[in-house]
Amino acid sequence: MRRLLILGGLYGAMLFILPAGTDSSARVLLTFGFLILAAYSAGELAPTFGLPKIVGYMLGGLLFGPFALGIVESNDVKALGSVGQLAIALIAFLAGAELQWAELKARGRQLLTLTSIELLTTFIAVLLLLLALQSRIPFLQGLPLLEVVIFSCIFASITMIHSPAVTMAMLTETGSTSPYARTTLGVVLLADVVVVLVFSLVLAAARSLVPPEGAIGMGLGLMAWEIIGAVPIGVLLGLGVTLYLRYVRTELFLFAVLVAFFGEEVARIAHVETLLTLLVAGFVTQNLSGDAGTDLRHAMERAAAPIFVVFFALAGAKLDLAEVVRLWPLVVPIVLVRLAALFVGTRIGAKVARLPKEETADSWMGLVSQAGVAIGLVTVAAESYPAVAGEMRTMLLAIVAINETIGPILFRRALARNETTTTPATIPAGPAPAMEA
Amino acid sequence: MSPQLSLILLVAVGYLAAHVAFDWLAKRFLLVSGAEYLLLGIFIGPLGAGLLDENTVRGLTPITMLALGWIGVALGLRLHLPTLVRIPAFMYRVGLAEALATFILTAGVMAIALAWFTGATPAVVLPAALILGAVATCSGTSGVDVVALRLGQREPIVRQLRVATLTDALVAVIALALVLCLAHPPGLTSWGRDPTVTEWAVITVTIGIVGGMLVHLFLGDEQKVDRLMVGLAASILLVTGSAAYLQLSPLLPAVLMGGILANTSRQRRILEELLAKVERPFTFVLLICAGALWQPTLRDWGIPVVLFLALRTAGKLGGARLAARMNGMLPTYGPTWGRALMGQGSLAIAIALNLLLVDPGPLASIVFSAALASVLLTDILSARFADAVATRLLGPLPDPAVASTEAH
Repeated sequence: MRRLLILGGLYGAMLFILPAGTDSSARVLLTFGFLILAAYSAGELAPTFGLPKIVGYMLGGLLFGPFALGIVESNDVKALGSVGQLAIALIAFLAGAELQWAELKARGRQLLTLTSIELLTTFIAVLLLLLALQSRIPFLQGLPLLEVVIFSCIFASITMIHSPAVTMAMLTETGSTSPYARTTLGVVLLADVVVVLVFSLVLAAARSLVPPEGAIGMGLGLMAWEIIGAVPIGVLLGLGVTLYLRYVRTELFLFAVLVAFFGEEVARIAHVETLLTLLVAGFVTQNLSGDAGTDLRHAMERAAAPIFVVFFALAGAKLDLAEVVRLWPLVVPIVLVRLAALFVGTRIGAKVARLPKEETADSWMGLVSQAGVAIGLVTVAAESYPAVAGEMRTMLLAIVAINETIGPILFRRALARNETTTTPATIPAGPAPAMEA
Repeated sequence: MSPQLSLILLVAVGYLAAHVAFDWLAKRFLLVSGAEYLLLGIFIGPLGAGLLDENTVRGLTPITMLALGWIGVALGLRLHLPTLVRIPAFMYRVGLAEALATFILTAGVMAIALAWFTGATPAVVLPAALILGAVATCSGTSGVDVVALRLGQREPIVRQLRVATLTDALVAVIALALVLCLAHPPGLTSWGRDPTVTEWAVITVTIGIVGGMLVHLFLGDEQKVDRLMVGLAASILLVTGSAAYLQLSPLLPAVLMGGILANTSRQRRILEELLAKVERPFTFVLLICAGALWQPTLRDWGIPVVLFLALRTAGKLGGARLAARMNGMLPTYGPTWGRALMGQGSLAIAIALNLLLVDPGPLASIVFSAALASVLLTDILSARFADAVATRLLGPLPDPAVASTEAH
C-alpha cells in the first residue's frame, strides 16, 4: 500500500510540475530523482508477484517511460545516458572484484571450456534458425546468399552475449555465494570477453568479404586494440587504486564514484572496451589490496545502489512494447532456440569440463539475461553497415526485452534452488568497519 | 575537455587540496574555511590558469544544484524540535534579532546604493539588494566547530553561536526563496496564467513538504544504509530538480524536507552521518565551481562590494550588540561577540550561486562578487575570531530572568 501511495504521489507531483518549467538541465535532475524513487518503489512491489526486483525497476521505467505514461520522455532517457555508462563502469569493477585469483587459477580452464561450448552451441543454433527464416527476417530479405550468411553471423554473435549487470544485480539482491552462483558469474564474465572478441573477428571478416559502402568503420587493428588494450589500461588503473588504498584510504565513497567515472573516461579516450577495462581494474584491486579492497567494494556498492536502479529503469523506459509485439512471430522462435541452445550447450560443456553437476545443472538459467552490451555491439556494427544494422537493432531490442524480463526470473529460481541463500549484503547502520573513517 | 573529466579533475584536485594542504593549515594555524576552495576555483577557472572554461563549469550546473539541495537538507536536519526546545528562548531571541538587524541594514542601504550607483529601476535593484541582505546574514559554522572542539559542545557560548548561525541561515534561505518568487520570470508555465508571488511561495513550500513526506514514506522503518542512501539521494534530486526546474530556490524546499526528516524519521542519526559523508565533497565542488564562474568587472569591485563588506561588518557587530542589549545579555556577551559570526561559510556562496544560475540579471555579478569577496576576506580568520570571543566569554551564561531579578 505504501509503495502504491509513493508511486501515486510521485506521478501526481510530476504531472503538476512538468508543464510549469523549462530548464532542461534541472529537468535531468528532476527525472533522475523521480526515476530512482519510482523504479525503486516498483522494484519493492515486484517480489509480491514473485518477480525479482530488477524486473520491477524495468517495469517502473516502462510504465513511466515514453512509450507508456510518458513522464520520462525520450530526451530525458538520452540525457541520462551517462548514468548508464557509469552503471556499466561500476558493475564491471564490482564484477572484477568478485573474481579471486586463486579461484581463477584453479578453475579457469574448466570455466573457459564450459563458456566456449555454450557460446558455440548458441551461435550455431541461432545462425541455423536465421538461415532457415531468412525470407521472413527484415534485415536479410532480398540479399544475396553471402550477405545473408555474413549478417546472420553478426547477429548470431551478438545473441550469444549475457548480462553481467543482471547477474551482479541478482547476486547482490539474493546475497548468494553458492558454487552455482560463482560458476555462473565466472561464465558470464568470461563470455563477455569471448563474445566481444568473436564479434570483432566476425565483423572484421564481414568487412573483408562484404566491404561496406560509404560507411566509416574500424580497422581490424583498432578492434583488436579495443580488447587487448583494455588489459594493460585496466591493470594500470587497478594498480593506481591499490596504491591509493594502501597510502591514503579515506573518502572511499567519493573515491569509488571517481574511479568509475575516471575509468570510463580513460577507456573512452583510449578507445578500449570499458567493461573489460574496469573488470580488470576491479580484479587487480581486489586481489592486491585484501581488506582495503573489500572496504572499497562496499563503498562502491553503496554508491552503485541508486545508479543500478536508474540503469534498469532506463532499460525499461527504452522498451517499445509495440515493436516487440510487431516482431513477435520472429523474435519468439529466436528466444526459444537460444534457450534450448543454452540448455544443451551448458550440459555438454559441463560434461566436457568435468564440472560438478550441482554447479552446472541449472547454469543455463543464469545465462538467459541480456542487456545494454548487446545494443552496444549493434551500434558498432552500424558504423560499418548502417542500413542493415538499423533493422537488426530493432529485432535485437525486442529479443533483449524478452530476455531481460525472463532472465532474472529464471536466474532467481535457479539461485534459490541451488543454495542456502545467505543474508543479503547488508552494511549495518551506524559505525561499521565497511564505512570509511 | 569533457564535462565528466572536468568534474573528476575538479573533485580530485579539491580533495587533495582539502586533505593535503588545508587540513594541515586548519590544525596548525587554526585556519578553517571555504576560502581555499574558492581560491582554487579562481585559479583553475577562466580568470586564472584557464583549466576550466565557463561553458564546462556551467555544464556542471546539475551538480552544483544538487550541492545546494544537499546543503539545504543538512541544514534542515538541524531542525530537530525535541533538541531545539531544550535551548533557552533568549538564545533564539538574540539570534533572530541579530539576523534581522544584519539583513535589514544591508538590504536597505544596498538598495539605495545600487539604485544610485547603477541607475537601475527599483524592480531590478530590490531583488539584488535583498539577496545581498541574505548573503550578509549568513554565518559560517566552521569557525564555531573549531571553538566547540576546543571548549566543548555544551559550553553556553558555543550553543549561542550555533543558535545564531542557525537563525542566520534560516533567515537567509527564506529571504532567497521569497526573492526568487518575487522576481520569477513570467511566461514560463503552460498553466494558462502566471502564478502570483504568493502562489510561487506556496509552491516552493509545497515542494519541500511533499518531498519530505515522500521520502518519509519511502524510508519507512528501513535500517539498511544502502537503501537509506538511495532514498535520501533520490529525494534530494527530486526536490532540488523540481525547484530548479520551476526556477525557484532549491534551498528552502530542501531545508523543509530535512526538517520533516529530522522530526518524523527513525533514522535521523544515520541520515546525518550519510549526509555528512557526502556533503563535504559536494561543498568543495560548489565552492570550486563558484570560484571558476567568477568574472568580476571593475564596476563590481568598486563601491558596491566595499560598501557591502562595511555594512555586513556593521550589521554583524552592531546587530549582535543590539540583539544582546535588547535581551539583557550585553554584560554577559560583551559588545563584540558578533565577531564570532563574521565568517560567511558556504551557504553564502550557495545563495549567490543560486542567483547567478537562475537569474543572471544585470546585478547578479555584483551580488556574486560581494559574496565571494566577503567569503575570501572573512572565512580565513573566522575560527580565530570565534576562538577569541569564546575564550573571553568562558563560563556559564545566566538566565536573563534570573539576572534581572538579582539586579533588582
